[in-house]
Parts: sequence; structure tokens; C-alpha cells
Amino acid sequence: MKDTEYIEELLNSYIDGELDERKSNEVKRLIDNDAEVRQLFETLTRYKKLMGSIPSAAAPEGFAEGVAKRLERQILLADTGVYHHHAGRRHLVIRRLMTAAAVIVLMAVLSLIVFDIFVPKTSRDKFVNSALNRKGKPQVLYEKPFEDAKPPQDEVIQVPVQNTPAVPMVVKLTLTTDSPVETDWLIGKALMNTGLFDKTAAIDRKTGSVRYVLNCSADSLVNLMGELRFIWPKCTDAKLEVGTEQAGKYITVNNVTSQQALEICKADNYGQRIRMANDIAIINNFAAPDVLDRYIAKEDIGYDLLMPEKPVLTSAEQAKQPQPADSAGQANLTIVVIGK
Amino acid sequence: MVKFIQEQLKVTGGNISIDEASLVSQARAGNMASVEKLILKYQDRVYNTILKICGNEADAAELAQDAFVRAIEGLKNFKGESSFYTWLFRIAVNLTLNFCKKNAKLSFQSLQEQIDEDTNRQLKDYLIDKSAGEPSELAAKKEVHSLISKAIEKLEPQQRAVVILRDIEQMSYNEIAETLEMEIGTVKSRIARGRKNLKEILEAAIQ
Repeated sequence: MKDTEYIEELLNSYIDGELDERKSNEVKRLIDNDAEVRQLFETLTRYKKLMGSIPSAAAPEGFAEGVAKRLERQILLADTGVYHHHAGRRHLVIRRLMTAAAVIVLMAVLSLIVFDIFVPKTSRDKFVNSALNRKGKPQVLYEKPFEDAKPPQDEVIQVPVQNTPAVPMVVKLTLTTDSPVETDWLIGKALMNTGLFDKTAAIDRKTGSVRYVLNCSADSLVNLMGELRFIWPKCTDAKLEVGTEQAGKYITVNNVTSQQALEICKADNYGQRIRMANDIAIINNFAAPDVLDRYIAKEDIGYDLLMPEKPVLTSAEQAKQPQPADSAGQANLTIVVIGK
Repeated sequence: MVKFIQEQLKVTGGNISIDEASLVSQARAGNMASVEKLILKYQDRVYNTILKICGNEADAAELAQDAFVRAIEGLKNFKGESSFYTWLFRIAVNLTLNFCKKNAKLSFQSLQEQIDEDTNRQLKDYLIDKSAGEPSELAAKKEVHSLISKAIEKLEPQQRAVVILRDIEQMSYNEIAETLEMEIGTVKSRIARGRKNLKEILEAAIQ
């Protein structure tokens, strides 16, 4: 500290009466002996007197009442809990959050309205569909390069089923036998065993042949076919004709065995039945020794029935061929026994 | 109640003997009468000090009321290590200094325009030529009050507060140190510098 500053501090303290007796005497001596210090002392004293002579201002009228009112208000607010610093802050935060939420909701509603008004319906539907159908990419937590590796699965394409009219199972079994009476008796027995005798629509007996016509359920027909297996050993030839959806058109299965006939009748639906009948017909025809003669001789078979089916799809994708439904499982069976 | 106490103060010339410690303890217990007595006891001094620091009557009244409200509300935190008077003035001065900091205005107004020639000469005679005796006649002039107030306003706020608490509020150095929570040495140096600066400001104004 500079000497002058120290002396000024000492003089101020002396003027203010803040020095102890010893220091006070020292300053007094300094003032008496040093003209410059004395002049400074006089100046400071005059300034202090001038400052001290300024009248004090009194508090304005009603000051105390004002303070008392403010205090009472503070106390009342504190009692009612309306104004508490922490509660008030919490209240303010909640209000701000609620305001923010309200603003967000309002913005969302406005956006929807604007979207609804200005975006064309097609684009809107496309956008909404893509937003709803978006699948989240599965999160890969760790790499398992081979463990879970599976070949990609072909998607099964559903070909829309056309409105195909229901096709009843129409089957015509022609049996050629050397023992027509015995065969006739066995057929009658099979009909009795399967409870179809009463449901036989017609029995037409002519010289050398008997014709049975039955209208029954597909299940009953299958049962009957199972019972008829005992007839085959008595027959020299058996032919099964399976009705197609085209009226009057049949797939003829020559040299049909009892098992083949049963499998064809057990087919789940029309398509499967036709396909099976077609396959067996081809196999049986090629297996026959007089195959060429038979093709040429039997015009009603038609090459189209012998040709392999037209492939539906050539890709790896599998398509389900639309299948005409069976007509409520109804079946029509005609059995013709021809005696030699 | 306030009117009653005011009347009592008038009757006794404002010097009623009130035991401050008991008033403070009663006020702390929620006794409004004691609170009002404390207000009435210190309102003028608090208001005057604040007015001298901030220089505006309306602001001073608002700040002084605020200081009382805070001091009384904070009585539960008052440990009694200092007097209530010091506690109250600490709150008042801090509030005012914060207010001044927030509302600091740079005044470029010349102090020479504040007083007429005659007053200027009288003030010069008193402060520089030292020919005049007592400043009472001079201090009675409103122009001189205004000039001194403006000169004080030009001081740096901390120096201003120290000078006012000493020369106007007549606080001791110890009380100033307690009120402003500073060392006595700081108080001494600030008083010395504040008075020196004030002298320079006033001398420049009356030259």
C-alpha cells in the first residue's frame, strides 16, 4: 500500500473515531506537525460534515401498513398452499408439460386435417397402408452365419378359384364275367352289406347283362367299392369310367383293378379323382399288350385324355389349382355286368 | 395496531425503548404486533439508506418493503449471531445493490448544471477555500442535496454503500463489515477511496 493511501485510511479512521487511543494520538501528532496531512484532514472533515448534514428521508406514508399487508398475504398464501416455492415450481412444470402436450396434440390434429384436405385419396390410402403394413426389421443381436441358415421358402401363390359348378362323382363300372349269376349275387350281397340295396335307383336286367344304378353318398360308394373287391376274381375284364365336368365325357380306365377303382373313388375331390383316373388309365393302357389296337379302336378315349396334364406353373412357386367342389359328396354309380 | 404504535412513537418523540431481542423472538413466534414494532423502528433508516443508494423514491419504497418482508419471513433462519438491525440492513443493502446492478444506467449528465452560481460559490467556499464554517445552511438547500445525491450515484455501488452506511446511517466500521459481510480492512479502504472519489466528483462539479 502506498503511504498516501495508508495515511488517508488512517485519517478517515481518525475522523470516524475508529482508532484506539495510541493510534489516535499518533495521527493527532501527525496532523499537528504535517501541513499537508492537516489540509487533507480538514478537507475530509468538511466532506464528512457535509454528508452528515444532509437530512434523512422518512419512509412514505403507509409504509408499515404496506409491509404488514404483504406479510399477511404471504402468510395466507403459505397457509393455503397456493404459493409455496417448491409446490409452485412443480405446478409450473406440470402446467408447462401439459401445455406442451396440448400443443403437440393440436399440431397432430392440424396435420391430419391438412393431410386429409390436400393429399389426394389414392396417395393417402397408399401412405396409410404402407405405414400400417411396415414390418420392423428384426434386430440382429449376434451373427450366426450358418446355424439358422434356411433355404428361402417359396411363397404359395393362391390362384383365385373360379366359380366352377359342383361336379357330382359319376362312376360307371363295367364288369365282364364268365359267371354272371354269381357276380350278380355278389353285387346284391355287397349292396345289402353296405345298406345301399334300398337306395338302388334301378336294376335293369337284360339278356346277357345287368345294370345297377345307384344314387348315394361318396362315402357309401367307397364302402361299396371295398365290398366289390370279391367280384374281381370272377371277372375277365373290368372297366371304370369316371365322369368329367363335361357332360357325357368320361375317362375310361381299362383293366382296372379293384384297388385302383377303390383309390379313384376315395380321391378327395374331383380334380384329384380325374388326375388319378387319367394316370391309371395311361399306365393300364400302356401295360396292355394290344395298346395300339385299343387306341385306334376306342375313339371315345380321345388323345387329350391320355396326354399329360398341362403344367400350371414352370417356376419353383407352387400354385394350388382351383378345384371344382364335389356336389355335397353325392355320387352316381352305374354297375354293368356283362355275361359272356 | 400500526396507528397505535405510530401514535406511541410520536408521543415519545420516536425514541421509545423497545427491547429488540424480545421483539425479534415474539415476531419469530408470529406475533404481528412485534413485527409491526420492528417495522416502525427501522422503516425510516432502511428507507433513507436505500434511497441514498438507489436514488429513486418509488424504487426505494418498494425495495424497503421487500427488505422488511424478506427479513421477517427469514426470521426462522436468524441465528442471533448479529443484531436484527445488521441482519435487516444486510438484506436491504444486498437487495438494493442487486437492483442497481440489474438497472444500471450510465449517467452522462453533468453535475455542473445541477446548481446555480450562488450555490456553486457557497459550496466552493466551503469545500475548497474552507472559508465557511458549518455546512448546515448549505446542506439545507435542495440543490445541494440533489448535487450530493448525484455525486454519490456516480460512485461504484460497493463504495457507495459503504460511504452511505458510514456517513449517513452512522454505522461503525464493525457494523458495516457485518452488514456487508466483509473484512474491516476492506471497509476502511473502501471508505477512504469512496470519500476521495466523492471529493473529486464534487470538486469537478463546482470548479
